[in-house]
Amino acid sequence: MNKSIPSTRPSTGLAKGSKINLEDGEEAVRYILEAARAAGATSADALYLSGVEETVGVRKGEIEKVHAAQSRGIGIRVFAGQRQSSVATSDFGTDHLKSLVERAVAMAQHTAEDPYAGLPDRILPPAIDPDRLFPEEGHIPSRDELIERAKTAEAAALGFDSRITNSEGAECARSRTHVVFGNSLGFLHGYRKSSYTLSCSVIATSKDQMERDYWYVSGPLWESTENSEALGLKAASRTVSRLGARRIKTGTYPVIFDPETARSLIGHFAGAVSGSALYRNATYLKGREGSPVMNPCMTLREDPFLSGAPGSRPFDGEGLPTRKKTVVDAGVLQTFLFDTYSARKLGRQSTANAVRSLGDGPGVGISNLIVEPGTLSQEALLKKAGTGLLVTELIGFGVSTVTGDYSRGAFGYWFEDGVILHPVSEITLAGTLDEIYKNVVDRGSDLEIRSSINSPSLLVEGLRIAGE
Amino acid sequence: MSDISRFFEDRVEGSQESLATALGQVALPSEVDDADLYFEHTTREHYSLEDGLVKKAGQEVSQGVGARIVSGEKTGFAFTEELSPRQIALALESARRIARGSGGGQPLALSRPGRPGLDLYPTTDLALDRPVPEKIEILATIDRLCRKESSRVVQVMASLAFEQKTIQIVRADGQVVVDRIPLTRLNVSVIAQEGENRQTGSYGWGGRTDFSAIASPKNLAHACREAVRMAMVNLSARPCPSGTMDVVLGPGWPGILLHEAIGHGLEGDFNRKGTSAFSGRIGQRVASPLCTIVDDGTIPGRRGSLNVDDEGTPTQRTVLIENGILKGYLQDRQNARLMGTRSTGNGRRESYAHTVMPRMTNTVMLPGETDPAEILASLDRGIYAVNFGGGQVDITSGKFVFSMSEAYYVENGKILHPVKGATLIGNGPDVLTQVRMVGSDMSLDSGVGTCGKDGQSVPVGVGLPTIRVDGLTVGGTT
Repeated sequence: MNKSIPSTRPSTGLAKGSKINLEDGEEAVRYILEAARAAGATSADALYLSGVEETVGVRKGEIEKVHAAQSRGIGIRVFAGQRQSSVATSDFGTDHLKSLVERAVAMAQHTAEDPYAGLPDRILPPAIDPDRLFPEEGHIPSRDELIERAKTAEAAALGFDSRITNSEGAECARSRTHVVFGNSLGFLHGYRKSSYTLSCSVIATSKDQMERDYWYVSGPLWESTENSEALGLKAASRTVSRLGARRIKTGTYPVIFDPETARSLIGHFAGAVSGSALYRNATYLKGREGSPVMNPCMTLREDPFLSGAPGSRPFDGEGLPTRKKTVVDAGVLQTFLFDTYSARKLGRQSTANAVRSLGDGPGVGISNLIVEPGTLSQEALLKKAGTGLLVTELIGFGVSTVTGDYSRGAFGYWFEDGVILHPVSEITLAGTLDEIYKNVVDRGSDLEIRSSINSPSLLVEGLRIAGE
Repeated sequence: MSDISRFFEDRVEGSQESLATALGQVALPSEVDDADLYFEHTTREHYSLEDGLVKKAGQEVSQGVGARIVSGEKTGFAFTEELSPRQIALALESARRIARGSGGGQPLALSRPGRPGLDLYPTTDLALDRPVPEKIEILATIDRLCRKESSRVVQVMASLAFEQKTIQIVRADGQVVVDRIPLTRLNVSVIAQEGENRQTGSYGWGGRTDFSAIASPKNLAHACREAVRMAMVNLSARPCPSGTMDVVLGPGWPGILLHEAIGHGLEGDFNRKGTSAFSGRIGQRVASPLCTIVDDGTIPGRRGSLNVDDEGTPTQRTVLIENGILKGYLQDRQNARLMGTRSTGNGRRESYAHTVMPRMTNTVMLPGETDPAEILASLDRGIYAVNFGGGQVDITSGKFVFSMSEAYYVENGKILHPVKGATLIGNGPDVLTQVRMVGSDMSLDSGVGTCGKDGQSVPVGVGLPTIRVDGLTVGGTT
């Protein structure tokens, strides 16, 4: 759907009070940009999102919930010279849209003149044909098929072990989203993407201890969720293996983050390399470009073109063509990530990392971030570490990308001589992001693309654990 | 307040008769226990400042109708953003497929839309109605005040947000309830720098209040002083010790302990399903006899307060724990029915696009009799935690965490120095049994709490007196 620059079809033909054709996001974006121009905006950009979603939940073999959703919204950012404001709505009545855009232009008169504010300098075509990023959906499942898949997953989990005594249920969901972005320079492109998820969560009991865990899969096609039985079994085995958890003695130990928790650890880095945080003095990485910020074994790449990955996109939140980049090369920080505003403010170029939501102007964000895998299996990584903690869950919000201070609650498994001995709960891990990233002495080979941030297992030397 | 009883009738396209026809579809087929339509129209406005400039301003309007059909443990739910009788009927039809016996019964006789009995947020001076420059001036004042407090302040970020939500709940019993719910929020966040040491400090304030409450010079001065003070404290903070130790929690927002450690575990859905660490424990001792904890949705003007919950049930003051004994759970209509009890007015939803769950309102520990100074003086070696960031809980295992943002190391009852933020971790069913002392200085938080559950966010409040809790695990670095 790689459309050329649109013709400026006048929208004034729409009758007063009539509805814009909702099937057509491009029509809606064109209409609102024209309304902004008519209201006196000097430039503007607009985002249209629409989606259909269906979620089913089963619990103990019975249907528990069926949710159906059809939603859409449009947001516009208007400029009055170097001043800006933004508005968004889910009401597509043309009278309402016009008066909202007028309100936006009026609000913009009161915000501060900002020499760095504005659209990108020029428009460029998207980096890639969206059809190559988002595979065409084949089979579109009925509600009954969604239910069947959730039931299969839950039944497998409930039958896994007699210690599985209760269920939080299994959910299967499909969604399809249409994204259209346009600006007054003439950019107008869109793409559609679909997503399927299947998740299952069960409860295991022994004596007076009760533990819950889950597993999920997601992907762009119905086929992504087809191993529903395996998913249920994995959820159940993760849950049962938590039974018998106890605390460990306070101390400093080697810690292995499994791919799920490593993902969370790397996610904080994605926040700290934001150009917005840089100009606000709000990142511990300030002044560190070109110098080591991680262990030399670490290389991080951003890839917006991974087929079917959740962060993939042909253009960023300002319509600039996305591109691949190496963010950390052998431990050395190559670049911060910029949108147009943070780049202008710091005398740099946008790295096409603008992200956009309906209600607000652009900010900085990542598409898909990947930590390059190593050669060791998780087992071999445990052997290499000898004695320590394998972390499989992190809870809480005790991380600051301003100072780099890190302190979170954790669940995991104690291992000695590379062999797992028992589960561990009610402990915290603490340090600074800077030390933790520098102390990643090895990575596993177990990289899987499950999300927009992806990492293999990471072995961190010497992390402070608070327990007994 | 203007007449809101006709608000949605005026917004739905087509004649009034066709809306009435659509609403008549709420009629229950044989195997349905409950059903409702939730009309919502919300306007939000936000302003933000950084680098001394108000760079962003904006407004969002969202409106829609959620249709819900409940049959036993099952919920069918659909929503539409188009307020037309046809779309509302389609949403209901989609939701109704969950129940067997899809044929509608007799259309309901609907009452005239009625206002709730409570009036907890009688606004006369709505922020949305005030001219834009007045709101921008507030942020400019904040920037000036913060920078005047200290030359070490290198960045001031501040934001204002106002919301007005109008709802109309059409219930299966024919009752129609309307309410108009305001929400205001001010946030001040500063970064202070000394050499290479950069630290943050922040302060938030809000509630279901008038504009004049948020804009008062006294309020703004206090917010700025607090944000800068916290950044200064953090500039001199030393690494926090790690391990199990005794902790004194200050009054107000540290009440997030109650929210995470026990509040979620007492929500009706988890207890009906038997998945909470508190399941089946009514009547048992779960806290020290010093502890009495309530969830109170009826405190005027508070962020967690509501005249009626999102099912039209009036909110109330529910005793959760009385002198250490577990007394009750938080219920919505579905879970109450399945557990053979009554809704406590805790059925809440984020918006028309989300379905109802039992949620907290304002969760508060009642004051004790001990002088707070005496509590701090009793601490041999431990942490005095005055302010917190967020928290999280695993309902099933009971393990919870919350993160300190302002804390001090104490020896022999004396504050020695501030410590860096660290996470505290504990076990919900145990932690309140370890409460040794409860102060007389109960205070509510300043109106900043947002609770997340199953992907839905709702505003909540907490309240706590100074308390001493023994044997919490402190996640420091030394």
